[in-house]
Amino acid sequence: MDFLHSILIKPFADMVAAPDFLMQVLWEGLVSGVLYALIALGFVLIYKSSRIFNFAQGIMVVFAALTLVGLHEKGVHALLAVPLTLLVMLMLAVAIERVVLRPLVNQPDIILFMATIGITLFLIGFGELIFGGENKVMITEQLLIPTGSYTFEPFGGFLLIEQKDLTAVIGAIALVLILLLFLNRSKMGRAIRALGDDHQAALSVGISLSTIWVLVWFIAGVIALATGIVWGARAGVSFALDVIAYKALPVLMLGGLESVTGAIVGGLAIGILEKLFELYWGQPLLGGNTETWFAFVFALVILLFRPQGLFGEKIIERI
Amino acid sequence: MKTFVKTAMLGAALGVGAVLAAPAAYAQDSVYAPNLSYRTGPFAATGIPLMDGQRDYILMLNERDGGVNGVKIDYDECETGYSTEKGVECYEKTKSKAIVTQPWSTGITLQVLPKTNVDKIPILAPGYGFSPMANGKVFQWAYNPPASYWDGASMLLNYVSGGDMASLKGKKIALLHLDHPYGKEPIPLFQAMAEKHGFTFLPVPVGLKEMQNQSAQWLQIRREKPDFVFMWGWGAMNAGALTEAVKTKYPMDQFIGIWWSGHDGDMKTVGEKGKGYKSISWSVPVADAPVMADIKKHVVDAGKSLIGGADDMDTVFYQRGVLISMILVEGIRVAQDHFDTKVVNAEQLRWGLENLKIDDARIAELGMTGMVGPFSTSCSNHTGHSGAWILQWDGGKFAPISDKLTADAEAISALEQVKAMEYAEANAPWPVNEACK
Amino acid sequence: MLYRIAGQFKTNYRADHALFPVRQDAVLLAVILICALVVFPLTASEFTFQALLIPVLIYSLAALGLNILTGYAGQLSLGTGAFMGVGAYACYKLITIFPEMNLLVAIGLSGFFSAAVGMAFGLPSLRIKGFYLAIATLAAQFFLVWLFEKWAWLYNYNASGAIQVPTIDMFGIRVAGPTASSIVQYYFVLLVVGLMTFFAINITRGHIGRSWKAVRDMDIAAELVGINLLRSKLIAFGVSSYIVGVSGALFVFMWRGAAEPNLFDIPLSFRVLFIAIIGGLGSVMGNYLGAILIVALPVVLNIVPEALGLDINAATLEHLNIMIIGALIVTVLIVEPHGLARFWAIIREKLIIWPFPH
Repeated sequence: MDFLHSILIKPFADMVAAPDFLMQVLWEGLVSGVLYALIALGFVLIYKSSRIFNFAQGIMVVFAALTLVGLHEKGVHALLAVPLTLLVMLMLAVAIERVVLRPLVNQPDIILFMATIGITLFLIGFGELIFGGENKVMITEQLLIPTGSYTFEPFGGFLLIEQKDLTAVIGAIALVLILLLFLNRSKMGRAIRALGDDHQAALSVGISLSTIWVLVWFIAGVIALATGIVWGARAGVSFALDVIAYKALPVLMLGGLESVTGAIVGGLAIGILEKLFELYWGQPLLGGNTETWFAFVFALVILLFRPQGLFGEKIIERI
Repeated sequence: MKTFVKTAMLGAALGVGAVLAAPAAYAQDSVYAPNLSYRTGPFAATGIPLMDGQRDYILMLNERDGGVNGVKIDYDECETGYSTEKGVECYEKTKSKAIVTQPWSTGITLQVLPKTNVDKIPILAPGYGFSPMANGKVFQWAYNPPASYWDGASMLLNYVSGGDMASLKGKKIALLHLDHPYGKEPIPLFQAMAEKHGFTFLPVPVGLKEMQNQSAQWLQIRREKPDFVFMWGWGAMNAGALTEAVKTKYPMDQFIGIWWSGHDGDMKTVGEKGKGYKSISWSVPVADAPVMADIKKHVVDAGKSLIGGADDMDTVFYQRGVLISMILVEGIRVAQDHFDTKVVNAEQLRWGLENLKIDDARIAELGMTGMVGPFSTSCSNHTGHSGAWILQWDGGKFAPISDKLTADAEAISALEQVKAMEYAEANAPWPVNEACK
Repeated sequence: MLYRIAGQFKTNYRADHALFPVRQDAVLLAVILICALVVFPLTASEFTFQALLIPVLIYSLAALGLNILTGYAGQLSLGTGAFMGVGAYACYKLITIFPEMNLLVAIGLSGFFSAAVGMAFGLPSLRIKGFYLAIATLAAQFFLVWLFEKWAWLYNYNASGAIQVPTIDMFGIRVAGPTASSIVQYYFVLLVVGLMTFFAINITRGHIGRSWKAVRDMDIAAELVGINLLRSKLIAFGVSSYIVGVSGALFVFMWRGAAEPNLFDIPLSFRVLFIAIIGGLGSVMGNYLGAILIVALPVVLNIVPEALGLDINAATLEHLNIMIIGALIVTVLIVEPHGLARFWAIIREKLIIWPFPH
């Protein structure tokens, strides 16, 4: 009885008892959710257009952020460093397409997946060689991102919202809107979607595979930079950041591998639910740190009911 | 294409090698002291300054005095990336000619600890490792001077209670720690003390993957409202914790880290807002210490150091690295005198580390006045329990704000005895040297 | 020349399907076995044992387990590390609860624990396929490592949360613990790995192995021809996890001597996956080739500059190592996506027809 009470009733009683705390938890969850969604978006774009499950997205975040900070350290003005970093990411996209993807066209999924892990290792070594392993400070202020915070006092408690988190949320929404607009309205965007639907058909109407791949990897690079700035502003830029790639995996599975909407909804859902679970069930009952697995187990349970994820394309199997 | 990639890689490897090629290895009159360093991986940020300090002190001795009593020290690094697996590989690789193992991670220490008994190589783990290693009767080959994690934990309690442990009754103390052998190390002591002195102890683990995203942990702290938060953090975790602490509005002066959580580099991410954050430390950075001037003259200005610039010399971690090498070198020196030999071997160094007498006079001779408290080791006491200071971040650097603290030796040694014997039993047959006075 | 098959006549179907249809293959195997059994142990140094021979064998075994699941039955798994952990912790508990137990028996039994856990996490494979299934194994990976960390009973309430291998004697010979000699451990590992390989070769060539391949190539088609998917997939998960669990127990007891939960985290899973893929999916021999490459390469790369008299900074060397391994993975995948095993097959074909390729 006590046991059931502590699982079913007490957590909700706690939520009601301290609504300001609950609001803070939800806000923190939302911010993490936005970040997960951003990373997952990078995955989805690449998966949609090339069926590559790009494990390197995590290290691209680190690489982009380090390039930005590194350029700034070399004396480049912050606002100039951003386009330069994007240029580097473009070069990276071209290099990956030329060296890795082109020779691997038409290989099984798992081989391509492995290749991206190879890219990840290469970039880790390369990045550390160039930038060193020190924890770098993200150039938040130089990028004109406000660093103050708003404090609200609902229900006699307090709710603290950092301006940089708020900027992150707004920035992410803007980025997503631009992306959606690009995918749905522009010629290139349509080409990406066409390639995702049917490779053969897309090729036969004259869509260039390699151009689209470079483009998609470049967009993933742009998203990586955005994620890197936001996450770096929270906790500094170091190679420990690449673990966020793991966070994006359950988001993808939950939302469906080829769905942009899925990435966003999945990211937000996982971000918020894992915080709620950790604070109201994980810490009191399970010894904490449940965030490492909650998202995976949650996605697994959902997948049992919807094997293609919430928004994934229905899997039709034919013999 | 494929061959091209491979050739290019090899070419690059050789090219870099050629550029970095340094003078040939030292001749006969040298002792080999490898360091299981980690300049890569998620913990590199905290590892690099420590390794630099260790390296530069030894380079300085070799330059200035031609080593110790004329014997050069062949300092060598074997990169582990803080991975236990690589660490053990490094241990195996270096053990044939090494006189010491410096494992640099509690995980690696635990792995090599049973092996050193067999291979007869002393482990030197200054300020880290397995706290019961202080018991020299059981851990004959392991040394963790000048203070163990349990010393640190006990001194933190002494500090926050103002010396009167009874005042902690009814208080709540949280331990924000890395969920790793290192972070769990102080828990037994805190638990024992909580029971004895009637405060509530709340461990808050941070997973290796959550280091940079600790909002859940800090929300828990906000909910539990502990009177003090102690931190056993490492690498990227420290910066993450500080950012979140600022965000949670946790009073900075009630937030104290262990010596590995007091790194200047970490504080730079929070800057001004981290003002008031404290860290206990058995070493104090002294910018104008004679030894630092010597290092600057012989190593840094000569362009032999790996550090970014002379400014980095005043950081807590760099200077601690210097002290760590000092402990090793003093061990060598004591062994040289006692055995009347120049090139000491691992077994002789073991004796040396066991008979360290670092008193104030010796510290002054070394040009390190104020950098570390005096301590001495003995056959049964492998830690020395030197004591420590509280350093506070003033927005630009760490500065000592307390008198020297000492640990509750009685409580610690009782627990050390229990845990050491447990270890010996679990690993029976384990040689125990009861003869130790 | 060396591989001439002229004069070797197959007179019945059985002979044609023998393990070694070409006599030279058997000879080659004998040479390798002699090397493994006699030459290496006699010549190897302590470092060679600890950094090369023993890990290569243990990693090959882990990769073999994974290969059965991924290469033969077509189910992608990213949770190998955690299943190794289950084997290791199970073995540790068995040994500490029943100190009298023979280590060989304990290791054999511990595999059943990981088989059970593996099958439990394999259940979703009926509904979830491809990369989506990877999530189920990742859930296992992260959940189990968390459990190793939190469930203090598993590590006997050790303060550091680590397990330490006690000293174990078997028939009067010390086989585990800090004082065990490397050569004994090597033979012990070789014995277990040999047995497992023999078992794996036979199972993959038999009825079960064929049903796995059918499921891998197209599971709906397999179901239509009457293969029970549930049974087939679960057996694959069970057998695979059993082997992986045994390798995990060996990993800790015969090699590492102590383990903390993080040891079994995702990098280990990836490492084993690299070995299986670079070695060649759907091949038994490939695991050995892959393990040799992945385990030995960093060790060799670390030694090379020293041997050449170059004094490269340890950190730089490590960075270069990571880069080279990453580049190598990509290169191998580009050159031969079917892995080193296929490389060998090609060489063998060439040798058979050499010197008259037309």
